[in-house]
Amino acid sequence: MLDLTELGAWFSDPENWAGRYGLWNLVAEHLTLTFVAIVVAAIVAVPLGVAIGHLGRGEFFVVGLGSASRAIPTMGLLFALVLVMGVQFRELSVVLALSAIALPPLVAGAYSGVTTIPPWIRDSATAQGMTAWQLVRHVELPLAAASIIGGFRIAYIQVVSTVVLAPLVGLGGVGFGIIQGLALRNFSQVTASSIVIIVITVAGDRLIGLSQKFLSDRLGKPKPLETS
Amino acid sequence: MKLTRIAAVAASIGLILGVAGCAPSAVPSSEPIVIGSQAYYSNEIIAEAYALVLEDAGFTVERKFSLGQRDVYVPAIVAGEIDLFPEYTGNLLQFFVPTATETAAEDVYAALATSLPEGLTALAMSPASDQDSYNVTQEFASANGVESIADLASLADITLGGAPELAERPYGPTGLLAMYGVTVSFEATGDTTVESLVAGIVDMANVYSADPRIQQLGLVTLSDPLGLFLASNVVPIASEAVNADARALIDAVSAAMSAADLVALNVRSVDEKLSAAVIAREWLVSEGLLD
Amino acid sequence: MEWFIANWTFVAGLAATHLSVSVVPIVVGAFLAVVFARVTPTRWVNPARGVLGAIYAIPSLALFVTLPALIGTDFTGPTNVVIALTIYVIASMYFSAHDAFHQVPRPTVTNAESMGMSSRQIFFHVELPMAVPGLIAGLRVAAASTISIASIGAVVGVRNLGYLFIDGFQRKIPEEIITGVLAIFVIAVTLDAGLWLVGRLMTRWRFVTVDHA
Repeated sequence: MLDLTELGAWFSDPENWAGRYGLWNLVAEHLTLTFVAIVVAAIVAVPLGVAIGHLGRGEFFVVGLGSASRAIPTMGLLFALVLVMGVQFRELSVVLALSAIALPPLVAGAYSGVTTIPPWIRDSATAQGMTAWQLVRHVELPLAAASIIGGFRIAYIQVVSTVVLAPLVGLGGVGFGIIQGLALRNFSQVTASSIVIIVITVAGDRLIGLSQKFLSDRLGKPKPLETS
Repeated sequence: MKLTRIAAVAASIGLILGVAGCAPSAVPSSEPIVIGSQAYYSNEIIAEAYALVLEDAGFTVERKFSLGQRDVYVPAIVAGEIDLFPEYTGNLLQFFVPTATETAAEDVYAALATSLPEGLTALAMSPASDQDSYNVTQEFASANGVESIADLASLADITLGGAPELAERPYGPTGLLAMYGVTVSFEATGDTTVESLVAGIVDMANVYSADPRIQQLGLVTLSDPLGLFLASNVVPIASEAVNADARALIDAVSAAMSAADLVALNVRSVDEKLSAAVIAREWLVSEGLLD
Repeated sequence: MEWFIANWTFVAGLAATHLSVSVVPIVVGAFLAVVFARVTPTRWVNPARGVLGAIYAIPSLALFVTLPALIGTDFTGPTNVVIALTIYVIASMYFSAHDAFHQVPRPTVTNAESMGMSSRQIFFHVELPMAVPGLIAGLRVAAASTISIASIGAVVGVRNLGYLFIDGFQRKIPEEIITGVLAIFVIAVTLDAGLWLVGRLMTRWRFVTVDHA
């Protein structure tokens, strides 16, 4: 059962925070891997999702990508890529695997953000003489922003969860404390590490949720076209 | 000598009884012998060998393989859910007695025998061992003139790769410094340790001594003159449900398995990608333990 | 392919365990989600969504190893995995289940009441059948995720298809890992298709008169 004294002792021991595999370093590594993977995925996914939504074709691709990604075990994807690409490219293969995991929700977020815009908004923008690019830039992107962020939210949760497995392929991240702790039967370390992971995940999710709310409040209504 | 002869006679009687399938009152053979194994391909091959010889002698066997870490299966053995399990003397001793100081094979075996929970027995240990060892590449060894862990003391900036838990093990960085005066920085390379060594990401790697890649890649295993590592021989752990006939059969398997045999079995698993059952059966046949 | 042919009985055995570890959470979780969704008072719905959303976000390995501290189970072994997967199914299905019941038109329920049906009859003969499409949609998502997430249980010593990842990585056999990925994918997709079919068969009445609920 949860032994708060032992847990407190673990957290208050400076040894557990310092060094290569100290908590600070592991948290930084965890968040860096997550961040890099999501940025890499977003560079591809957001334009792709917006384009599919804008052109109105390829819905089957987005839906298929979504259900396929649920059925593919992230752990297998991670292990296979690292094994095939080799340890020299360990970081790269982990980032690629994580990006592949982030891709479907990002595409879906961007896509549904654009397709849920009522047709009359688009029609009136076109009627005002907007080019396709202006329509995307000034109407679709702002109106889809909240949904795009929603995609980031799901991508964050999935990537942060998968990074927990990174120590199994020789990288760090907070999962290190779980994997090492299980082998050493140091269960306060296991519990402490999983608490840190839960805090990172839930806090990140809430933070992105707040920015989503902020954006939908500011950009949710169509605003006048800027002329600059 | 006398004991082994009695055991052999007992074994042959058991064999006849088993094959005939009678005498249910004398031998509780209706209850299957439950054999477990770790989630480690090499361990599964050994468990499979036990299962095959027992089945051949007419025992009913139930396989509960790849049970993961000791935390999972040791309680199951203690609770009587598993009757027979291939283990390693040093690693198992360390599990029960984390502060154990014995390192020589016989001492470790003796210490293990006294620290096993009630109802469990360590059968005779095998000459085959699978224990932690420090390895470097051939290039590193010749460039720095190292053969023994002690030779590392004069070198600076050595990176040691291994499983995450090595950081805290008695033979990890702390033990290296205390026993040999070797300072290392630790890199947790997990299941990519050998690759990381070959790729030059780490200078020295903790590899199990029966890992086929030590031979395949021409790695140099550093000698351990001061006894940093615990010897870890293959040892079957048996519950009381494993009767004398069965024990004699298992003892024969243990005795037949040499250290080189174990490496060869692992080579087949990794190179030929064969299943544990196929590898174990062919080895037993080649040893004359199975037709 | 060669590896799979040589080891297919091994893979089949793991697949059987994989299914047995996943089916209990899917069935029990779906049942509990439906019950919770049906009985939650309206003013509790939003707080419940918040809490369940946070739980759903917890990485599976972290949840597996947090449970022992909370409920005193062993750190390794299938118990935590089964409990954790059940929690995920509840958290994931609660939203869709609530919406599915919420979307049952009020007049239909009132009609049933005026026909003299008891609330029990209304639930089983009106609300539940009408909620089926939404419930099945939610269940499909939860089931596919459960099959996929269950593989992480191999890290804490559950012998299922996830073991192929650990063993394949140890033995450096990419085919073994890819077999695991494909086996899980096929099981998840088959289950998804099966549930779709069940939903379709259970709601044949929908296709007689109306297109959309």
